Amino acid sequence: MASLLAQATQIEDQLGLDSAILAEQFYFYTVVVMWLIHIGFMAYEGGASRRKNVMSTAMKNILTIAVVTPSFYYFGWYIYGCFQHGGPAEGHAGPAEFPGFCGATAPWSDAMGPNLQDHISAVFFLAFLLFSWTTGSIMSGAVIERIRLSAYLILTMLLGSAVWIMDAAWGWSSGGWLVTRFGFHDSIASLVVHGVAGAFALGVLLNLGPRIGKYDRAGLARTFRGHNTHLTLMGLMLIFTGFYGFYAACLVIQSTIQPGWLNIYLSPTTLGAIAFVITVGFAGGFTGGWFASKGDPFWTLSGGLAGVISVSAGADVYHPSLAYILAISGGMLAVWSGLWIERKLRVDDAVGAVAVHGVCGFYGVLLVGIFAGGFPTGVNNVETSLGGQVMGMLAFFPLAFLPGYIVSWVLKYFNLLRVPPEVELEGLDMAEFQADFFPEFERVPETIVLPSGEEVESAPVLLEAFADVNGRSASAERRMS
Amino acid sequence: MIDSFPFDEWSEDIAAFWTFGPGNSTGTYVLTVLGILVMVAAFVGFVWLENRKLQAQAELLRAAGGIPAPGGVPPGPGPSQPPLAGPSTHPGE
Repeated sequence: MASLLAQATQIEDQLGLDSAILAEQFYFYTVVVMWLIHIGFMAYEGGASRRKNVMSTAMKNILTIAVVTPSFYYFGWYIYGCFQHGGPAEGHAGPAEFPGFCGATAPWSDAMGPNLQDHISAVFFLAFLLFSWTTGSIMSGAVIERIRLSAYLILTMLLGSAVWIMDAAWGWSSGGWLVTRFGFHDSIASLVVHGVAGAFALGVLLNLGPRIGKYDRAGLARTFRGHNTHLTLMGLMLIFTGFYGFYAACLVIQSTIQPGWLNIYLSPTTLGAIAFVITVGFAGGFTGGWFASKGDPFWTLSGGLAGVISVSAGADVYHPSLAYILAISGGMLAVWSGLWIERKLRVDDAVGAVAVHGVCGFYGVLLVGIFAGGFPTGVNNVETSLGGQVMGMLAFFPLAFLPGYIVSWVLKYFNLLRVPPEVELEGLDMAEFQADFFPEFERVPETIVLPSGEEVESAPVLLEAFADVNGRSASAERRMS
Repeated sequence: MIDSFPFDEWSEDIAAFWTFGPGNSTGTYVLTVLGILVMVAAFVGFVWLENRKLQAQAELLRAAGGIPAPGGVPPGPGPSQPPLAGPSTHPGE
């Protein structure tokens, strides 16, 4: 009998270790797949920029990793662990006495370094770090071709290591106050990643202003021609590939208990369920984007992204047919709202990030309230409701918009937000890197599409706009003096 | 043979070793503070260095007696700061 018990204990220990190593490997490889999102962002934005700004655009994506990684290690992970009740968790008697999960997120804890007894903390942290890069990068495309690299890095650090992770603590954790009190349900981060990044980007864009020449004197929008639309579309396809890793990393493996998978709120789900929804979401989004834009390639692919974002919040519970229909509506919404933001709001969002991520992120959470109301969310089984979802939207919009607006305003005040107009006109790459990055390719005149649809050489248009900008600057200086 | 390795002993020895000591110790507090200081210094450096580059280029462009023709000027003949260190990206240099 004693021998049988000993064997059972040994088998149990072995299963526990196997389960831990399975989880460790799983999260590790989601991190590998999620890198594709960042390769994709770089290609996407690089293709959308004009030739003279290619490398400055790409450098933003690369250095996002350089600034968000340490700031998330030192501060962001701690915010996720310790701010789930709104403010900081109680019990901060000393740095070694943080309570529970909060204690494991402090950068000096034994969970945040090599630890032979802990297979999960490091890879779980890394998965969240990749979410942080993604959130920071969403803003990146909106601001290209005129923001200073350093201003972008400050803003993306704030977004990636403070703003989004605070909202994740509140509404994307099993202990978050929005979850335990209101049943807030955003399982694959429609709002907590995408919507929040879009709202933050909107706050930044209001201070940053449009690129020189984007609007004519009557306020009508012109269109810049990105130097390589094929690269942009390839970048989007890479982002889509990486999204499978993102989706998978949003689940928790619990391989010793049926059904083996939990969502971020620790409610049961399966990997297959979310894979269904993401794939159908792309199909619906492409379809909606294609019809709403009348076949425009950029908006067709962006529609795919918007479709997935629109169904991500309910990806663990939606039927594929429902997800397909909702994703079509999301793809269409992205196109219409993107054009409205550009033409009516006169905000120059170079890649439609506010529409695709912001508008569709909020839309996705609202849809859960309508189509998945009553689902028991989280360890407290609080029913998801339209009211609870709206509560989350009302909490997260100011949480995201205000920091973006205020910090970009401060940077603007100190003249550290935007490059000098001469540099913008010449192209950022010459100032930042003293180089053209297609040295063997013949230069052809840059073109621009007028509000009438006519495509013309851009130089006269931009020089006229530059004169207008300089006139405004000169009169502002005279007023100051 | 692999089962005969003294994994338990090794694990204990290795677990006790951590550069500057185990978690929640003076060593890890010091490393954390140092890392944060380096990170902040890097941010200051990003702002300072880029501001210097942008202002220098803007001055060059103004001193050249005009504004650049957007999208039409090859990088060679136009006003430019000295190239960055490392392999040249300018053809013919």
